[in-house]
Amino acid sequence: MTRRGTWLAILVTAVYVFLIAPMAIVVLAALNAGDYLAFPPQGLSLRWFIRAAHTEPFVRSFLFSLKLAAWVTVASTLLGTAAALYVVRHSARFRNLLRLAILAPLQLPAILTGIALLIFFLATGIGTRGMRALFIGHTLVSLPYVFLTVSAVLAGFDRSLEEAARSLGAGPFTTFRRVTLPLIKGGVISGALFAFITSFDQFPVSLLLVSVGNTTLPIQLFDYLRFSFDPAAAAVSTVSVLMSVAIVLIVDRLVGLQAVSWGAQ
Amino acid sequence: MASTEGILRAGVRVAPRRGLPPWLLIAPTLLLLTVFFVVPYVNMVRMSLLVKPAIGAYEPEFTLANYARALLDPFHWRVMYRTFSLAGVTTALTLVVAYPVAYHLTYAPRRRQRWLLMLLISPLLVSLVVRGFAWMILLGRVGLVNLTVQRLTGHELVLIGTPAAIVIGLVHVYVPFMALAIAGALQNIPPELIQAARSLGASPWAAFRRVVWPLSLPGVQAGTLLVFVLAVSSYVIPILLGASNVLVMPMLIVQTLLDAFNWPLGSALSMVFFGLTAGVVAVYLRLLARGMPWTRA
Repeated sequence: MTRRGTWLAILVTAVYVFLIAPMAIVVLAALNAGDYLAFPPQGLSLRWFIRAAHTEPFVRSFLFSLKLAAWVTVASTLLGTAAALYVVRHSARFRNLLRLAILAPLQLPAILTGIALLIFFLATGIGTRGMRALFIGHTLVSLPYVFLTVSAVLAGFDRSLEEAARSLGAGPFTTFRRVTLPLIKGGVISGALFAFITSFDQFPVSLLLVSVGNTTLPIQLFDYLRFSFDPAAAAVSTVSVLMSVAIVLIVDRLVGLQAVSWGAQ
Repeated sequence: MASTEGILRAGVRVAPRRGLPPWLLIAPTLLLLTVFFVVPYVNMVRMSLLVKPAIGAYEPEFTLANYARALLDPFHWRVMYRTFSLAGVTTALTLVVAYPVAYHLTYAPRRRQRWLLMLLISPLLVSLVVRGFAWMILLGRVGLVNLTVQRLTGHELVLIGTPAAIVIGLVHVYVPFMALAIAGALQNIPPELIQAARSLGASPWAAFRRVVWPLSLPGVQAGTLLVFVLAVSSYVIPILLGASNVLVMPMLIVQTLLDAFNWPLGSALSMVFFGLTAGVVAVYLRLLARGMPWTRA
């Protein structure tokens, strides 16, 4: 290790501390036994978690977000996987164009997409009541993640395995179910998890499309933070932190974080 | 098709293709994108050209008045300027912070790389509201930063409500994006190139400056573009950390639409904002292409 290497290590450690510290602070703040958000915390307790669990708007929006994210995950996983299969295997001339189109909702500012959808839903009379509008908006921005992770595993896929199955008499559906799907499973599940968290944590699209009685957890938390600032908000935030850690660990197990970080390129 | 395959494989029985046409795989996604993405955006363009009556949302009558109002109000330009400069500063700082991380990550042993990626990606998956809230705790009057500074110097340092707080929050959000984009490019540099430079007598610094840095520029380009576009359109972080003191374009557009209930003007503002962003990006790409002539195919 050279002196340059040491300096680099110190610098990089500082950046990782900068990245992680705020998350740790949120968790610590949630465990604070005192009445206010203050440092250092005055003892440890779970009282603010209990408070949050008894705050009706938090509970309602949490359940709503879970349900919404579940539906979005199902839809974007099905559509995204099918789209990746088509683009990687069957498209020739339009491959780049299709990729661009499917990834477009990630390239355009989500807040503008939310605005465009809001005007569209109101102008067409579809409205934003219930879950429909949110479901569509979230699926648009979640589907690209499934598409990316599944494309990444399909790129390294050995097609002779499928040909072997076909030549041994398996039909296209059997081949897909017994050969293709097990081999791309990691990519599909990782994509589904990313889709889930994208929907569960979604803010800009939701901001425009929520309606009375149908509020997602991030929007509820945002509204709460504009008027109050206490450890209950930190307790709610801890849910998001824990969820992201869990998803990172699962994806790492399934396909490896390296594959999803730069495998698609 | 099936028969030619059969002949080519001489003797191997291939099940006849009785599957559905493959375009069915892409059809639902294209339908979703067309109806709920392309049409709404086109509708927004149309909306920006419609008349806003005193009562009601819009009238189906074309006018350029919304654009005139969006473009001629100096207030809009001030907000625009603030938004773009905040995003520019954020992008530059993010690059400075993320490059060493990407470099370190790329050349770390594979086992450690996994852990580093976990540290990098887990904040990426935490809700923006939560990350904004975390910085509210840190940068507020009773926050850790102010308390520490007060103890050390006796002066107050309350960053909440200032552009600096917004930049800190945004850099925190975008460092992982930038680091991953740059690491993606660094991954593709064959190690032999660096070894060759070193064996020909280049110092480690010269090898970096003459070989690694130029070859990582595509990653830098991808990362800075992504971060700039995301930062320009960010809403949550500016509103939480700016404490409503610092108005940026996305906030102005949302206010125009939801509070003033003026869809045509809100749409026109969106279009102007969108066009300016695209313009800035185009100029930036042009400048960058001049800096790396070898990428021109």
